[in-house]
Amino acid sequence: MVPTWIVLLIPAFPLFGFLLNTFLIRREREAGWLASAMVLLSFVATIMSMVALAGQPEGARINLTVFEWFTIGSFRVPFGVLFDQLTAVMALLVTGVGALIHVYSIGYMHGDKRAVRFFAYLNLFVFMMLVLVMANTMLLLFLGWEGVGLASFLLIGFWFERKSVEPGIVPAAAAVKAFVTNRVGDAGVILAMLLIFATFGTLSFYGAEGQVPGFLEQAPNLAFESINLGALGTITVLGAIGLLLFVGVTGKSAQVPLFTWLPDAMAGPTPVSALIHAATMVTSGVYLMARNRVLFENIGSGDSWIPGLIVAIGLITAIIGATAAVTQWDIKRVLAYSTVSQLGYMVVAVGMGATTAAMFHLLTHGIFKALLFLAAGSIIHATNDTQDMRHMGGLRKRMPITFWAFALGGAALAGIVPLAGFWSKDEIIAAAWFGYAGAQGNPLLAVMLIATSLLTAFYVGRQLALIFWGEQRDHTYHAHESGRSMTTPLIILAVLTVAGGTINLPGSHFLDSYLEPVFGTAVEEFTLGKGILAAVVTLLAGGALYAGWWVYARAWATRVRLAKPDPLYHYTGAIWEGAETAWGFDWLYDAAIGRPYKHVAAWTSSVFDQQGIQGILVEGTGNVIGWLSAGFRRIQTGYIRNYVLVFFGGVIVLLGYFVLS
Amino acid sequence: MTSLGFPLISIALLLPLVGALVLLFVPKQQTSRIRMLAFSFGMATLMVALLIAAYFNTAAAGFQLVDTFDWIPGLGLRYTVSVDGVSLWFFVLAALLTPIAQLASWSLVEHDVRAFQALLLVLSTAVLGTFVAQDMVLFYIFFELTLVPTALLIGRWGGANRTKAASQFFLYNFGASLFMLVAIIALYFANRDASGVATADIGTLLTNIQDGTLALDPALERLIFGGFFLAFAVKLPLWPFHTWLPLSHAESTDDGSIDLIGLLQKTAGYGMIRFCVQLLPAAAAWAAPAIGVLAVISILYGALVAYGQNDIKRVLAFSTLSHMGFAVLGIFALNELGISGAIMMMIASGIATGALFLASGMIVARRGTRDIRELGGIWQPMPILGGLVLTAIFGSIGLPGLIGFAGEFTVMQGAWSSATLGPGFLLVAVFGVILAAGYLLTMYQRAFMGELKPLNAELPDLAGREIALLGLLVLLIVGLGIVPNALFGPMQATLQQIAASAAQLALR
Repeated sequence: MVPTWIVLLIPAFPLFGFLLNTFLIRREREAGWLASAMVLLSFVATIMSMVALAGQPEGARINLTVFEWFTIGSFRVPFGVLFDQLTAVMALLVTGVGALIHVYSIGYMHGDKRAVRFFAYLNLFVFMMLVLVMANTMLLLFLGWEGVGLASFLLIGFWFERKSVEPGIVPAAAAVKAFVTNRVGDAGVILAMLLIFATFGTLSFYGAEGQVPGFLEQAPNLAFESINLGALGTITVLGAIGLLLFVGVTGKSAQVPLFTWLPDAMAGPTPVSALIHAATMVTSGVYLMARNRVLFENIGSGDSWIPGLIVAIGLITAIIGATAAVTQWDIKRVLAYSTVSQLGYMVVAVGMGATTAAMFHLLTHGIFKALLFLAAGSIIHATNDTQDMRHMGGLRKRMPITFWAFALGGAALAGIVPLAGFWSKDEIIAAAWFGYAGAQGNPLLAVMLIATSLLTAFYVGRQLALIFWGEQRDHTYHAHESGRSMTTPLIILAVLTVAGGTINLPGSHFLDSYLEPVFGTAVEEFTLGKGILAAVVTLLAGGALYAGWWVYARAWATRVRLAKPDPLYHYTGAIWEGAETAWGFDWLYDAAIGRPYKHVAAWTSSVFDQQGIQGILVEGTGNVIGWLSAGFRRIQTGYIRNYVLVFFGGVIVLLGYFVLS
Repeated sequence: MTSLGFPLISIALLLPLVGALVLLFVPKQQTSRIRMLAFSFGMATLMVALLIAAYFNTAAAGFQLVDTFDWIPGLGLRYTVSVDGVSLWFFVLAALLTPIAQLASWSLVEHDVRAFQALLLVLSTAVLGTFVAQDMVLFYIFFELTLVPTALLIGRWGGANRTKAASQFFLYNFGASLFMLVAIIALYFANRDASGVATADIGTLLTNIQDGTLALDPALERLIFGGFFLAFAVKLPLWPFHTWLPLSHAESTDDGSIDLIGLLQKTAGYGMIRFCVQLLPAAAAWAAPAIGVLAVISILYGALVAYGQNDIKRVLAFSTLSHMGFAVLGIFALNELGISGAIMMMIASGIATGALFLASGMIVARRGTRDIRELGGIWQPMPILGGLVLTAIFGSIGLPGLIGFAGEFTVMQGAWSSATLGPGFLLVAVFGVILAAGYLLTMYQRAFMGELKPLNAELPDLAGREIALLGLLVLLIVGLGIVPNALFGPMQATLQQIAASAAQLALR
């Protein structure tokens, strides 16, 4: 019997690694191995915790309070750990993929002058991410939520002194942009927490034994409670909470309209992009919705527009991400927009209530997208920090391991059978087409998702062709295969990409049944229709992938030149330009918010504050008093000793007043 | 008196004053001896303050460790000092920031060391006294006494524009305090007429108000409230009474005394809880929505204007405007949660902003400027300073797990469920959370990140003493963020009582 306190070790190891690397370790090599070992130990602790969880009575979860965090009257928030099946799969992903990326970083960051700090930050990130997925209250989840934001800030800005990194991003500015944009979402989460506590009197997901039940346990009882918004009509309490939480999701999980920070986050070192900005942190919004599934599920029928809105936002995000990914030249920016797009898929799934499908895609995406980023990092490393794909070409023979890794990851992303991404993406499309958990299907939504997946397959084909086929278009570097500490994680992730789908094959439903105690959803039946749909979709995806490859490796291979526009640009024009800038969101924010805010701030501080408030209000009042009493002007001499005299004079007058009265 | 039989609070009040007097007998030239002596008095005061915290009975509401004797018996004025859940942590913070300010100024203040150290010690007594005086007149004297050493410190050791800053600071604050003086006198006579006993003792007034002996006419109560509020709103400051603040902060010295000067703002927050809420709850409930609006404006306005600054200390000055806006929002939530959060917010602002002020002084000592445009990339030559400053910045922004969040979130939860304010205020105030990240991180980006300018390339990183100073404050930022109950715990009994009586009296 494994004791339940073992779950506390999961976050303890990376925290310990962070502290050691911050305060004691000064040598790069030690730092790298220590950091990797800590995450690996954390992975082992996760597996042992899963054994401990399996030993619990049916339907029970591990819910440990470490200490009382806030105790003010009835406002009580424990600092504690929740470990159930949902936490388990998230912790497995975080520590498993995390450990591989740590090992990879030993090779990738070799020779960087701040490598020790890099590993400290990386451990800090893993710790915060584990706090996020293991928190037993919303408030502690929020600590992890902003904590990963902090780690993300530190790692995006890791090369803070560089004026710009490819493709023209300023790391320091990108770091601030990421944090501030996320704060917009976080404001929504804060308001959601305020409303949750005001409604339920607790911020705990589930009450510990003998305590007030958690808000997830209370939520179904309040499905019909509503708030009057005056002229705006009414909204159910759960609907309002869900909407506010979703604002946070759009920030952290890079949904429209807050997704613009993610492409710029690519300014961080590539292992960071793999771990934080692809596999784990950006999925925490999806996790947040999965964790609060009961709440979203009970949003009243009057507010059915809220789930609809969530699905719509996810779909728009998926389309914007995919179209933008097609048009990028930067190898990491393609993958970044692809992440935006896939996160949109997941949000569509949770929005429909197909939470298990979303979690399945979250897991497989975590693996194959990490693989893609690490392979991209291997390429960047081998080509003297080249990221523009026009400068690549023909790398297939020089970097065979990297090529196979990238190709497998890409095929999984495109949804080619039988790779992991096929199974998970297909579940989402099937849920959209046929409906999920008794809900009505929406074939139009499914068709849009399929169209998006065709775009996905197309840009995968384009990327493979540009990087690996044809002739090397830039001869300033000699590409070579990366060292073993980098290729080993690639191979392991590639194997998982091939085998990953087995955790939830249509026949076995392993993940479905494992998560059933948390989500309480029945396993979906496999039907012939679903099989046909899946076959059609994967055939179409294969075709799109081939088309992408054919255009850039065969038909127009010679029209890809350094610093020249894409061959397809001539046929699409403005559409291509729109897609390339992700439809102008950045421009819009800068024009509508960024620059006006700067001007208003400058004007307020130099004109309004000094001349308006100080000049007219304060000094004006002073002058009026001055006119009223001519003596006032005489004592306004600027000499401190006079003021001291005035002060003591005042005290004497006061005392004298008391004595005389 | 404590079980030890020592008047601990009076000792803590007298120690710095005695220190200042002792300094006058040391020859001017012996600067290192002066510094040592002054520092030992500062440390001794801190020790006594910690002893007070240790002897504080956390389960009891109301005033404890009372020292009292007749002062002006004919008028019923007494010297009464004591602590309760509201004042305890302010008192300890003031005692902590005294030796920290002294250490931080160690090598920065070179001329007139004796006068500087003596003034710092007098300021310390004045600030400490403000938090423990439980007689209205005594409070007024301490409250006003803080102005003199502060004005002198700014006026003699400050920047180019110091004379204007000092006189503006003094006049503005002194002028506003006169309204409080009138309010005190009015309350004194109202109580004498109602109860037949002449006293300015806050405890007695409180009892009289709670048991109905002193039932103020609503109009009069509101007038008295207005007098107190105006004095505190200026000193806090609250928008639009804030314009003295950036000038006096920016022009004050670049040494540690700024931390203690920054604490003056907190005396106003403390005063609001003690007088506006505790003594005049009905008027407080009446005025709360209007004050809440001013608080929200302060939060957003401070954040907006901070973004437009190029001087680190001006950014920080406006950031405290934002912080104090949150504090006022919590105070006028008039419930336990809100006031707890407000106190936490003010302690957090004192510690986190205090750390950042010290850091700005350390930068000036090396680089000779606080102009953000002149800095840039200094995280590279100064990794330790960069790391500590970043932690303090996140503490100030309100990152969960750090001290600022403990205050901010509690304030927001308190205001949300408040009978006087409510969710509407939060829907606006929450933008302050976003803007705070904007101006502080932008400042960090411009000063610490980015390309390293040649002039900054050789800046030496922090020395041991500086690491210890900033490190201690950063440790508090992290520690109290993880264990906020250490501060919340001892406040509870008193604040429960205040909130309960406020709710009861406001309804009457």
